[in-house]
Amino acid sequence: MNRDEAKIILQLYRPNTADAEDPQIAEALALAKNDPELARWLEEHCARQNTLREKFRKINAPAGLKEQIISEQAAFSKTKARREKYVAVAAVTAIVVSLAFLSQFWMPSGSGDDSTFSIYQGRMAGVALRGYSMDLTTNDPAQIRAYLAQQHAPSDYVLPAPLQKTAMIGCAVEGWQNAKVSMICFHTGKPLPLGQQADLWLFVVDRDSVKNVPALNSPQFAKVNQLITAAWSLGGRLYFLGTSGDESAIKKFL
Amino acid sequence: MAEGVDFEDIVARYYAPLYQFAFSLTRAEPDACDLTQQTFCIWAAKGHQLRDASKVKTWLFTTLHREFLGARRKQNRFPHVDLENAEAELPAVSPATVNHLDAAQVFAALGQLDEIYQAPVALFYLQDFSYNEIAETLVIPLGTVKSRLTRGLARLHNALTEIQPQQPKP
Repeated sequence: MNRDEAKIILQLYRPNTADAEDPQIAEALALAKNDPELARWLEEHCARQNTLREKFRKINAPAGLKEQIISEQAAFSKTKARREKYVAVAAVTAIVVSLAFLSQFWMPSGSGDDSTFSIYQGRMAGVALRGYSMDLTTNDPAQIRAYLAQQHAPSDYVLPAPLQKTAMIGCAVEGWQNAKVSMICFHTGKPLPLGQQADLWLFVVDRDSVKNVPALNSPQFAKVNQLITAAWSLGGRLYFLGTSGDESAIKKFL
Repeated sequence: MAEGVDFEDIVARYYAPLYQFAFSLTRAEPDACDLTQQTFCIWAAKGHQLRDASKVKTWLFTTLHREFLGARRKQNRFPHVDLENAEAELPAVSPATVNHLDAAQVFAALGQLDEIYQAPVALFYLQDFSYNEIAETLVIPLGTVKSRLTRGLARLHNALTEIQPQQPKP
């Protein structure tokens, strides 16, 4: 190592630090001990480094910064804890509600379980209201019946006379427990919102697949979700008809 | 958070040096405060992932630097310049000249350097980090640290010579 090389290495030397332990710097420092010119250069370098280090460290953090950091973090932690508490409560509530809902399907239908029929009603009304896709789109009742038979869904349904005169537009097969439900879609002739094809829906299923069905020898009317519905039983089939409006709106199809 | 490390203790121990580093990078008090605060926010959220309590200091400085670079990139003001194998540029400034400068002038000179030199030089003077610690903090190789320091210090010293020292008040 010559003097110029030593100067280059010592540029990174900071006095009173661990830099002297670096092997290259240690070698350069050793060289300076025997080289008066290099020693003078090193003395000036150390003075400059010390002064610069002092200048750099003159910048002080503004008063109150530490307290601000701590207090803001405390406030954030409090908000976070509160939010986590709300999330936990909401999660527990959601689980309880879900379990309550699911238990209606999973619990054995003992003598106290009289809700199965109403669940069926709600489910089918939901299918009609919240969207479905028709498996077959046609206004031919024979094709609809044939399609449903092919799908092993109820196809021997008997329609009330007024309903026979209402325009069919298609059908779909839905599921209920392990049974198939025939869904027949009608258009009553009223203007329909854009994208909607049907405004009257008939669901037919094996009566035995739905628990706790009342006698239903004559149509029973009920408001389910936003639909007015009629349910009746005939020939081992359970019929469930729904449309919008009031009871008179559905009675004219029966 | 690293085991046995309390948030308030960490703030008390490191907020001042972190602020100095932040100031050396931004040269604006509000930006330096924001950067320091943001670093501790990240520590509060992610500090628990640090297993080695002895690495807290490096972790904080690395985080602050990373946040600074992230903010710069968003402003599209970060020049992508890399320089290795810097040639020696011996400084010309005398200790007497430096002695007549105030801290603000020194930081102004630091601000004239390309950004790749600013962080190593600031850490070099502010914290007495070893070269390895600077490399670890800035996530760059040791050789790169040394070359950036060599050139960065030379340019800082040259910039300091161009600054008119403050005249003593009568």
